Amino acid sequence: MDYTSKNAGFWASKKRQERIISLILFIIAWAGACIFVVPLVWMITTSLKTPTEIFTIPPKWIPISHIKLDYETKLIAKASGRVIISKGEEGSKIIDIIKDGKVASSVVVPAVGTLLVKDKQLIKSGDVAAELPETGIVKIINNADGTTILRIVSKADLTIQEYNLPKGIRLKVKEGQKVKVGQHLATILPQWRNYLEAWAPKALNETFNTYLLNTIIITVSAIIGVVLSSTFVAYGFARFRFPLRDPLFLLMISTMMIPVQVTMIPTFILFKYLGWIDTFAPLIVPTFFGGGAFNIFLIRQFFMTIPYELDDAAKIDGCNYFQILYIILLPLVKPALITVAIFGFVYNWNDFLNPLIYLNSSSKYTLALGLQTFTTMYGSYYHLMMAASTIVLLPVLIVFFVGQRYFIEGVATSGLKG
Amino acid sequence: MEVASRKIKKPYLKMSTHEAIWGYVFLMPWILGMIFFVGGPIIASLVLAFCKWDLITPPQFVGMDNFIKIMSDPKFWKSLYNTFYYTIFAVPIGIVGSIIVALLMNQKWKSVRLLRTIYYLPSVTAGVASAIIWMWLFNPDFGLINYFLGKLGIKGPLWLASEEWSKPALIIMSLWGVGGNMIIYLAGLQGIPRQLYEAAEIDGANIFQKFWNITLPMLSPVIFFNLIMSIVWSFQIFTQVYVMTQGQGGPADSTLVLVLYIYQKAFKFHQMGYASALAWILFIIILIATMLQFKFSKWVYYEGELKK
Repeated sequence: MDYTSKNAGFWASKKRQERIISLILFIIAWAGACIFVVPLVWMITTSLKTPTEIFTIPPKWIPISHIKLDYETKLIAKASGRVIISKGEEGSKIIDIIKDGKVASSVVVPAVGTLLVKDKQLIKSGDVAAELPETGIVKIINNADGTTILRIVSKADLTIQEYNLPKGIRLKVKEGQKVKVGQHLATILPQWRNYLEAWAPKALNETFNTYLLNTIIITVSAIIGVVLSSTFVAYGFARFRFPLRDPLFLLMISTMMIPVQVTMIPTFILFKYLGWIDTFAPLIVPTFFGGGAFNIFLIRQFFMTIPYELDDAAKIDGCNYFQILYIILLPLVKPALITVAIFGFVYNWNDFLNPLIYLNSSSKYTLALGLQTFTTMYGSYYHLMMAASTIVLLPVLIVFFVGQRYFIEGVATSGLKG
Repeated sequence: MEVASRKIKKPYLKMSTHEAIWGYVFLMPWILGMIFFVGGPIIASLVLAFCKWDLITPPQFVGMDNFIKIMSDPKFWKSLYNTFYYTIFAVPIGIVGSIIVALLMNQKWKSVRLLRTIYYLPSVTAGVASAIIWMWLFNPDFGLINYFLGKLGIKGPLWLASEEWSKPALIIMSLWGVGGNMIIYLAGLQGIPRQLYEAAEIDGANIFQKFWNITLPMLSPVIFFNLIMSIVWSFQIFTQVYVMTQGQGGPADSTLVLVLYIYQKAFKFHQMGYASALAWILFIIILIATMLQFKFSKWVYYEGELKK
């Protein structure tokens, strides 16, 4: 077995060749998958951060920050020269280092620090000019809005360091506790409250309650319309013979190529004359009239796989066409109906153009429209925008994971071979 | 007798009228929809294209006026250019990308189901939310994309804020959705009979020869269908641009695509006639593109049994 590779070299073994290629492809596939999943992971990570955590370089992948007592205890001169000491704000002192008649470097020593140099003394670059205490005492101030100020003070009650902490933290120190430089003071936890804030945005008139309810009403009605009407039409195309059937079927398939923009304007005018603007009707009613060429095609393909003998047997038993459809055929094409329902869900849930055209008042907005309005008001609040996006996407993701075999099999069985 | 007559294809003339009537009954929702929401509006839109109408005063027939104005409208040419630019890059890159992913997903690995899920996932999240995610990824200062470019020593561009890079940004974003087409190619790949590969292996064909001489020709009808539909869809790009540019198509009209321009003309400026004329131009471009593809479809290989 092994002599082939010994004699003819490494690549002559077909098995080994294939195994190595397969391994390389496997690595490429997973590398690509990692890239594909990054935007969604990044969305969720960002949605759980505080505003300051968003704008950090390098980016933080886990929305948890550890606050450590962190400051320079030794203030070092950055230039050589003569020292001039002056008073700064809030009891601080400023050490200016003068070289050739100009201020070469300047150090601000807070009130809590101890100066190690005297006025007019000469100093060399790298010398310690002042010292700050290495330990301090914790003072916790709870603000009325739920945020916390963590102040580290010296024995003389002078502030060494101060931290403004958001809501949603875990304190690692107690009031009055003695802490050292480098000690872990608090942990900023994932900010789940971002979701509450995004759900009921202060800058908008509506909450996501409204958007969600509207979207559910429209999506559910549209799914009913699509499933019902595309089943009927597919049944007609698959099980009956009548003049012009095949040309009509071809016509139906070719409508897939008509851009909606061509029909959009007259349809809008039609609905305007019907008084349906700013109602859900333009988004729901059309779904009852055919349900889309792709869906009809998909269900018809399923019907075609069922033997006619079943229909005929039912007919002999006295079933009419509706009964044949409901009793005999529908249970057999259930996977196709579920596929159509799921595609209908995703399409209507994500649809933006139609709601944008037909819905004017914000109380009628769908999630997609509400989300778009949200971004115009919260343009730089990426944590809130990502939280809102997650809210909108979550139902789609759940439906996808529950029904994923229908997505993949639905496309596969429709046999899009032309 | 009924059973027997089913199996033999009856000529059209002998078709039972009863059956035909019921056929039309079941087709009725689609026929009505075709009249009221497709055919009717198409004709109405053609008529409107020769009218001037602001929805308030009655429509006025203006002949070729709209088309003449469009021909000298720099915004139209700009939007046409932007749409072509997007299509010319996004469609081929998308097709090659989705075929590559489909080939990878056709391997026999244990984790292949999970991989398919991951690659397909972004195509169900398409819409406003994913446009927002990509705005954040493309953020020039704190976005992940420029961060990784920086790690490679490249100073990332301003992306959506730059006239030059806003369209490439849209194209990159479109690649995230290759999973939808990937599934179609995967179905096509799985329909290729194994014996073809086995025969080629006996003849000593390597992986690339097998791909070039079996996979690609057998897949070509699917590619052809997909090419047509991808062009139709990419000419209709709208939501991403609307969300990312707040409906403006900026900066400096660099992302003003044709559909966005139609939308602005119709629903912001209420120039229904002008917008209809634009929509018809879009329609004709798509028709010509589709017909050209049929004309130059000699590369598509139809296996005998697939021909009806």
